[in-house]
Parts: sequence; structure tokens; C-alpha cells
Amino acid sequence: MVETYAPLLLMFALAFVVVIGFFLASHYLGPKKPSPEKMMPFESGNPSEGASHLRMSVKYFLTAISFVVFDVEVVFLYLWAVHFKSLGGAGLLMAAAFLAMLLIGLVYELRKGALEWEN
Amino acid sequence: MNANILLGLSPLLIVAVGALVLMVVEALSRFRDERLESPSASLAVSSSVVLFASAIAAAGVWFYGPENLPEVSSLAPWLLLDRFSLFFFVILTLGGALSCLLAGGYLPEHKLDRGEFYPLLLLSTVGAMTLAAAGDMLTIFLGLEAMSLGVYTMVAFRRGSPRSIEAALKYFLLGSFAAALLLYGGALLYGATGHTDLSGIGSQLANTGLRLVKSDSEVPSDMLLIAYDNAVPLVMVGLVLILVGLAFKVSAVPFHMWTPDAYEGAPTPATTYMAVVVKAAAFALMLRVLLIAFADAKTASWGTGWPPVVAGLAVATMTVANVIAVRQESVKRMLAYSSIAHAGTLLIAVVAATKATQQAEASMIYYLLAYTVSTAGAFGTLILCGSRGAEAVSYEDLAGLGRRHPAIAFAFSLFLLSLAGVPPLAGFFGKFYLFRVAIDNGFTMLAVLGLLNSVIAAYYYLRVLVVMYMKEPEPGAPIAVPMRSGYVAAALLISAVLVVLLGLLPNGTLEAAILAAG
Repeated sequence: MVETYAPLLLMFALAFVVVIGFFLASHYLGPKKPSPEKMMPFESGNPSEGASHLRMSVKYFLTAISFVVFDVEVVFLYLWAVHFKSLGGAGLLMAAAFLAMLLIGLVYELRKGALEWEN
Repeated sequence: MNANILLGLSPLLIVAVGALVLMVVEALSRFRDERLESPSASLAVSSSVVLFASAIAAAGVWFYGPENLPEVSSLAPWLLLDRFSLFFFVILTLGGALSCLLAGGYLPEHKLDRGEFYPLLLLSTVGAMTLAAAGDMLTIFLGLEAMSLGVYTMVAFRRGSPRSIEAALKYFLLGSFAAALLLYGGALLYGATGHTDLSGIGSQLANTGLRLVKSDSEVPSDMLLIAYDNAVPLVMVGLVLILVGLAFKVSAVPFHMWTPDAYEGAPTPATTYMAVVVKAAAFALMLRVLLIAFADAKTASWGTGWPPVVAGLAVATMTVANVIAVRQESVKRMLAYSSIAHAGTLLIAVVAATKATQQAEASMIYYLLAYTVSTAGAFGTLILCGSRGAEAVSYEDLAGLGRRHPAIAFAFSLFLLSLAGVPPLAGFFGKFYLFRVAIDNGFTMLAVLGLLNSVIAAYYYLRVLVVMYMKEPEPGAPIAVPMRSGYVAAALLISAVLVVLLGLLPNGTLEAAILAAG
């Protein structure tokens, strides 16, 4: 067992040593001339502004989670569509039940106002 | 898909469809009806009706006989709809229905009156029922997550309270780790045996021992399988990971750290649900996994397998939980530790099941039923003792309750005495059968330790009685005013009747439990 995995272990060890080695090398060999601009957190070249703990509106999360749910729905439907003929009537029924459940979720979302962007 | 399968699945389907319908009803109606004392309380009644209907459906399938529904076996190994599952369906739906009724009184009283509690509870009960019936690592994971997701949300239901959020976060993180460990264990077992279904894993381990096939002989074509010669460490690591995951879920010491905080921070109906339904489902899962997948001569023997580990967990869980429970000043936290201690007692029966599977399983099922009604009742009376803004939590809040509100004090005493195991209540027979099975099968030491722990436990249960009947509140101390709620009263009535009935007439239920275990 050990012989089988020995090359893999060797590779891990090598990767570890190389990464740590480069970090240490740049730490000890690199010149350091700190200035206030250099010590600022890097934000794609723009001057950073505001606090780092931003409070996001919950609307973004609601939209994102709805997207995930309905996106996954489409993925499942693709699989069903590919095997539509072999799954037959039972497959149609099950896909309908699946869609009905998601429809209930959509109705729930609409009524609870999760899709209203204003207010 | 035919009618018989639908009949067999009806307990699950009723709860699932009921949850979806109630979700839509809750979203579509605006609950502007002023005649209702609180908007969501009607949902509490409807959800408990759904759960009781599911229990009745499970009983119906039981009396019709699962063996008369041959089509149901086509669901195996994913769902095993045997008598074991059916009995657990009844326990789970009963616990869920009691929690619903308690929530119907508690949530409006504490201004948490939002309707989504009930669909969450129902959906999480579907997960718990799936878990109790699951016979495959994949359905186990599905049920576990379906159950847990609902409970995480229910724990965080008091959104404004940092303590509730802390409880939910702790429960969520540790619960996720537990689920991940369980899943990883399942993956390793699949790697070692080539099966995800429990009976497949079991027969693979039993037929050939742990060294399955020589690696130079026929290797199955499935390329995922590693050479069987290397399977021993995989099986062992898989077993350990699964045991840890299960221990987290039943909150056995030393994997119990999240329990008191989560139980205390959650709204009390959610606490009831966790202590009753989640624990029962986790024990059903534990029995299935350990007694189907790991029942072969080697892994289930005292010398080389899991029994000594589980026995150690049992002793540690009982002792630590009871000793800490004695020192608690909050009754809710004391009940949380008491539920951990009960899990320890149940683990004794898991060990005994290696010798006498049927009796041990039957005693566990009976114990779980007794524990369900007693615990739901105890938490219910605690709910009844507090009112808006002033939840009764400490022992002092209960002082003088026996004189001011004799009925509530009497109900509380009944449930606590049942938990302590005083005859002739349900808890006594639960303990009696369980210890008897342990002693009959040579686990005398475990039974003795369990009995000693029951004595410690009696101290903190009786302390509540002493405070209620023999102490008067300090002059000037705020007196908790009990709330009024027909829903809580109904839940307490149901549990009280069951606690007495299970204690006085245990025979029928015990026979059913033996049948379920067989």
C-alpha cells in the first residue's frame, strides 16, 4: 500500500517545500521600503474607502438563493429531457410533481414579497 | 408505482403534502381575521392534525401488515418500510404533534407569531421519518439533512435574540460537521465494500471478514473499488467516522457540547422537538447502521469492534450529563442535560443489542416512546409556567407553584417523576425493561452504573418538586405568571394520559415494540 502511494506523498512533500521555500525566500531576500500607500489594503488600484464590514441588503441574498433554486431545477429538467422517452409516463408524472413543488415555492416567495426589489 | 406503494408510503406522504399545503395556505391567507386569538395558532392545530393523521396512517399500515404489501419491498434498500420504521413513525409524529401544539401556545405568547414555524416543523419531520426508515447511506444523508435544515431554522426563530442566534450557529456548525463526518465514513465504507446500502455493507463484511478478497484474484470491474486487501483500515476509519457522526446527533459525551446551549437558546417548542424527534430519529439510525452494517462477528464483538466504544460512550454520557445537570440553576438547561443522560441510558441497550437484538431494540423503542411523552410534557409545563417577556427558567421562578397553581405543579411532577423512573409511570417501565435486557445478557456492570446514575438524576428531578411544593418565592421577587393556552393544555393532557397509560398498561405497547424489533 505504501509503495503505491509513495510517489504521491513525495509530490505533496515537494510541493510543500517549494511553496514554503519561495515564501521564506521572498521574505528574507526582498527589499522592503514601506510607505503609507503601500501599506493600504489593495483594492484593484483604487483608494480603499469605508469600513471593511459592509452591511449588504438581504435582497441580494434572496435573489441569489432564488437563482440557485431555479437554476438547479433546470439542471434536473435537462436530465429528464434527455431520457424523456425511456422514462415515459411515470417520468412525466414525477417531473410534474417536482415542478409543482417548485411552483409552490415560487408562490410562497411571491406572496412573502421576496421578489419585490423596491422597499 | 401502484396503490400499495402509496399506501405503504402514506405516513410520509401525508406529512410532506400537508407541509406543502400549509405553506401555501399560510402564504396566501393574510390572517386578518380578528376572531382568531392569534393568526398562526390555527396552523398549529392543522399541523398537529396532519401529524396525528400520519400516525394513524402508520398504525393502519401496521395493522394491515407491511408483509401484505409486497410492492413496498421494491423501495428497499433505500426505504425499509418494516414494522420498525412504522413504530418509529408513530413516535416521531407524536413528538412532532406535541411540539406543534406547544408552539401554538408559546409563539403568540412570546411575540414570535410567524407561520413558517409549522411547515418547517412538518418538513423536518419528513426528514426524521426518512431517516428512521433509511437503509442506504444516500437516503440516510438525505433524511439527515432534510431533518436538520428545518431544525436549524427553528432554533434561530427568535431572530432578535443574540442567544438564540448563538445557539443556532453552534448547532448549525457542529451539525454540519457531524453530517460531513457521517458522509465521509459512508464514502470510505463504499470504497472498502462497494456498497452504499447497509445490508450490502453488512453482508460484504460478514461473508469474508475484513480481508475480503485477495487482490490478485478477481477484482470487480468497478474501477472505484480499491484492492480489497487494503480494506481493513478503510472499514475501521469509516466505522469510527460514522460512530462520531451518530454520537454528535444523539449528543453523547464527549460530543454533547452544543446541546445545552442549543436547547437553552431555542424557543421551547423547538427544544422539545430537538429533544424528542431528532433524538429518536438519530437512535433509529444508530440501530440500523450498527446492527445491519456492522453486525458481523468481528465488528460487533466485544474484543475487536464497536461495543466497548459504545459502552464507554454510554457510561461517560450518563455520568457527565447527570453530574452537570445537578449543578444547573436553569430548569430548561437541567432538562437539556437530562435529555443527554437519557441518551446515555439508551446507549446501554445499543450495546446489549449485540447479544439479544430483539429484546434490546424493543426495550429501546419502548424507552423512546416513554421518554418522548415525558419530555414533551416536562417542556410543555415549563412553557405553561412562563408568560410574555418572563419565561420561567430558574428554579426560583417555580417557587410556590404548588400552592398558587396546583394543577400545573401536579402535571410537572408527573412528567418529572416519569423521567426519574418512578413507578407506576411510563419512564419506570422504560428503564426497567432496558436494564433487565442489559442484566440478562451479562452487561451487569453497565446496568449497575445506569442505576446509580438514575439515583443522581432523581436528585435534580425531585429538586423541582421540592421548590414547587415546599418553598415560597422570596418577598419582592418577580413572580412568573403562568400563561393560558388551550393548545399547551391539550398537549399536556395527551402526554399525561400517555405517561400514565404506558406505565399502568405497558403490555400491549411492549408487545408491539417486540414485534417492531423482530
